[in-house]
Amino acid sequence: MKKLIKISLLTLASISLSVLASGGGSYLPNDEMPTYTSHRLTTSMQNGMQVYMNNCMGCHSLEFQRYNRTAKDLVIPEDLMISNLMFSSDKIGDLMTNNMPTASAEKWFGTAPPDLSLIARSRKPQWLYNYFRGFYQDDSRPYGVNNSVFKDVGMPHALESLQGIQAKTDEVKNLENEKEYALGDLASAQEKLKNEEGDSSELNALISKSEALIHENDEKLMELSESGNYFTLVKQGQLSPAEFDSAMTDLVNFLDYIGEPIKRERKSMGVYVLLFILFFTAVAYFLKKEYWKDIH
Amino acid sequence: MGKMTQFMQWIDDRFPATKVWNEHLAQYYAPKNFNFWYFFGSLAMLMLVNQILTGIWLTMNYTPTGEGAYASVEFIMRDVEWGWLLRYMHGVGASGFFVVVYLHMFRGLLYGSFRKPRELVWIFGMIIFVILMAEGFMGYLLPWGNMSYWGAQVIINLFSAIPVVGEDLAVWIRGDFIISGATLNRFFALHVVALPMALLLMVFLHIVALHKVGSNNPDGIDIKKVKDENGIPLDGIPFHPYYTVKDIVGVGVFLFIFCGIIFFSPEMGGYFFEAPNFTPADPLKTPEHIAPVWYFTPYYSILKAVPNQGLGVVAMGLSLVILFFLPWLDRSPVLSIRYKSPIFKVALALFVVCFFILGYLGMLAPNEMRTLVARICTVYYFAFFLLMPWWSQWGTTKPVPERVTH
Repeated sequence: MKKLIKISLLTLASISLSVLASGGGSYLPNDEMPTYTSHRLTTSMQNGMQVYMNNCMGCHSLEFQRYNRTAKDLVIPEDLMISNLMFSSDKIGDLMTNNMPTASAEKWFGTAPPDLSLIARSRKPQWLYNYFRGFYQDDSRPYGVNNSVFKDVGMPHALESLQGIQAKTDEVKNLENEKEYALGDLASAQEKLKNEEGDSSELNALISKSEALIHENDEKLMELSESGNYFTLVKQGQLSPAEFDSAMTDLVNFLDYIGEPIKRERKSMGVYVLLFILFFTAVAYFLKKEYWKDIH
Repeated sequence: MGKMTQFMQWIDDRFPATKVWNEHLAQYYAPKNFNFWYFFGSLAMLMLVNQILTGIWLTMNYTPTGEGAYASVEFIMRDVEWGWLLRYMHGVGASGFFVVVYLHMFRGLLYGSFRKPRELVWIFGMIIFVILMAEGFMGYLLPWGNMSYWGAQVIINLFSAIPVVGEDLAVWIRGDFIISGATLNRFFALHVVALPMALLLMVFLHIVALHKVGSNNPDGIDIKKVKDENGIPLDGIPFHPYYTVKDIVGVGVFLFIFCGIIFFSPEMGGYFFEAPNFTPADPLKTPEHIAPVWYFTPYYSILKAVPNQGLGVVAMGLSLVILFFLPWLDRSPVLSIRYKSPIFKVALALFVVCFFILGYLGMLAPNEMRTLVARICTVYYFAFFLLMPWWSQWGTTKPVPERVTH
């Protein structure tokens, strides 16, 4: 039996290595979001809600969530909530909807701004954190901005007043241009090779050269992003870059809460559940031992 | 005579309560050498009860319409008291059910539990497995998320690959030309009424058939050959209380893992709850990568491994059908892996490896390398079963003991 398991695992491991050897698409920058716990997390969520209500709620509803549930979970007094955080409703038990007409919204943005109740579950928190911080100047886009995490997104830079405007650094632009060209070379060489046009050894050399360049530039871009040199601020906002990052952490923590309001509670509850099951299993185990002591 | 005895007498005169209790529990003699692998039958029963109970309560708050389904699931998650727990128990329970059922079936492979005289036990079990797959597939549509929608779309479209009748068949299954509220409604009806009833009936038959012939054991020998003066097998012990108390320990260990997942990681990294399913069903937006839930992926891989789609569907169907014939494919003189030849051990180990690889590849987008590996594994999957009548007779078996080893 043990041998059987060993053989299976070894073969599985060796084959899975060869199958795994090709990664999926990734995005830059891909910074780690700081993690908060307990009281710090609660205040972060509270601030996140403030950011959300003031900057996002106009377009993006949270239609499955209620104000009073949010107030209770985020420890915000209901009267404060009603007077400061509720703009489209005055009933604390209401769902967090907004008044944007879908048909007009489609005309304005090309696609209606989605409801964000579950965005932190369909997109992961880290993705959101980098998305919010990924808007940059791009004059070819209708709203003058593009997003490095979600290319050609229809959304304008709603947080411009807070962040200001950032642009890709020259170094990043150059590397990306070079990569773009290399990708073009690669594709055309592969096409030619497929159609058996031209000298195959020359084409193969071009392919490996392009691939090496793409790989090299990817590495460099990664380094730039990790050292914080991917973007540079071209217009100052109300917040400093550090303050903006912190506000975005709060915003994501709030959305993460909205995605699954029970998350924190279920985890703390889970500890007691597991402790009980442990105790139950121990009792069951000794009961079994007692019954089975005569079976030889 | 005490009051209780009197009462039981009154019942027994009208209904065989004591008789059934004795035949199936207190005087049902099971081999005393059951090991780890024998926990999964009772755990499957636990999962069945879990699915039915949580399912009933979910039904109380769920709206089976295209317009209301997605919102009602979020209503359950947020506004229904303990609704989140019901949903997680049910959703994680579906995966848990398949985990224990796969292990339960593997136990059969290890110890030859499907061999004569337990052919019907195995066949009823296989029917349960197929019904369970239908349950899982239809249940997955109900949250009406985008992966629910597109997963169902892809799978139902497979039927349209069948020549001549395919297109009509797909429309007949959907009740519409695309997946729509009509599909959701009928899947709901099948998921909560028709299939659970069929499942309960088959579980009943599975157990009746098992208790008629008696349980196999890790040695694969018949304990009824050696009996004491009262006709009780010397190596048998009453199922109750011995295996009831033992199975409760198994339940404890299982629940520790099960609740660990429910309370700390219900999405299980996207394997139990897939991320695209947290956006509502949208016929105009295809998820980047459509993959079925993990318990279908080995068969999905087989489907994709065949170059022709129609034949792929046939291969996928056959990969399940072939399992029904297992009792007649294995011709080894012994039942249990303990006494089988090394050839069997290697063949089974490779089968497990292939099955895992197929399962893993089924989750990924195909590329050249992956398709090649999937094809090799598919060929092995079929060769393992189709050539079993021959290879199961190769090699030398070890002598089988008279009495069980305990």
